Amino acid sequence: MKIEISREWCRRMAQQEGDAEIGAGRLAVDPVFGGDPGFDEESRIEGPNVAFGRFVSLMRRRRGMSLERLAQDADVDMADLVEIERDPYHKPELRTACQLANFFEVSRSGLMQVAGLAEMKDAKLFDEGVRFAARSEPTAKLTPEEGAALEAFVAVLSERN
Amino acid sequence: MIVPVTTVELFNVVRIKPEAAELLHAITEQQLADWEGEWVPELFKAMQRLRRADVERRQWPQSRHWDWRKKAAVLQGMLANPGFSIVCDGLTQGMMIVDTVKHQARIEGQQGKHLVYVMFVENAPWNRAELFDPPRYRGVGSILIRAAVALSEELEFHGRIGLHSLPQANEFYANTCGMTDLGADPEHDSLRYFEMTPEQAQAFIAKGA
Repeated sequence: MKIEISREWCRRMAQQEGDAEIGAGRLAVDPVFGGDPGFDEESRIEGPNVAFGRFVSLMRRRRGMSLERLAQDADVDMADLVEIERDPYHKPELRTACQLANFFEVSRSGLMQVAGLAEMKDAKLFDEGVRFAARSEPTAKLTPEEGAALEAFVAVLSERN
Repeated sequence: MIVPVTTVELFNVVRIKPEAAELLHAITEQQLADWEGEWVPELFKAMQRLRRADVERRQWPQSRHWDWRKKAAVLQGMLANPGFSIVCDGLTQGMMIVDTVKHQARIEGQQGKHLVYVMFVENAPWNRAELFDPPRYRGVGSILIRAAVALSEELEFHGRIGLHSLPQANEFYANTCGMTDLGADPEHDSLRYFEMTPEQAQAFIAKGA
């Protein structure tokens, strides 16, 4: 294929383009599950953090705790906690995930996998994480469905040590 | 493999003058090496600056998680998914991957007709005003979209192209490129879908003539 673009065209368009942002494409907005065929691997790597953030958020809300209070009581960095709940792609600090596992009394290794800090060895855990993220919606108050989803996920996490 | 190259120009904002650049009709290992060795570290530093400045996350670049090596690994070598890149001053300044098979036009009067769908397009971090002040080069987006239009014409799609714009780029596709905004697409992360008709493609080319 031959493309001919004159220097004048480039100059004029550079002027019109200015400092505009030009990004386009899928898989750019959080959260991401699925996507184009052929991108499953990417989703699988990035996906578990959605479940992790949602898990931390629901566990915190079930206890009626503010982010600040949870950071204080679990002895974790407040900024890391905010990122965990709000950004599915955020990779939390290892210590934060360990502290949260201790605080919520769930398996460390399981939560590490869900947080994307350890290789996802357990396919069932991955599936449960996805199911949990899909079932739960962040609202002001836990619905019975959210509560049930949370309980089910806690049970799965608690099985693994 | 010999990669076809088109000579183009980018505008160097710092030196306030145009600079010779190359539009490569491919994304090669060199581009992926630039992405890993140059783009990612610069993006990381820019993210740290945004974080320190308490910039709201919705204003952070939505493409910050993109992994071009993974995209290229999946799509490279597929005839239906050619890539394009721009090199200037020895560095990759922008990349684009398109699809020529799976997508059809949606705009009224063009429905069902073939088009070139821009799967991914991204500027180098140092060319992005929200990350660098001043950004280094201007013109990357226009040249890459021009390449998509040229490919569309080559395939006898008459310049029709389509894409899902990241929210911060909506204005570029609506105004600079003159594409039609078909609204938020719930099946594509609620990104706005833009399409360029053959007439709009001609108008886009004429804009810089």
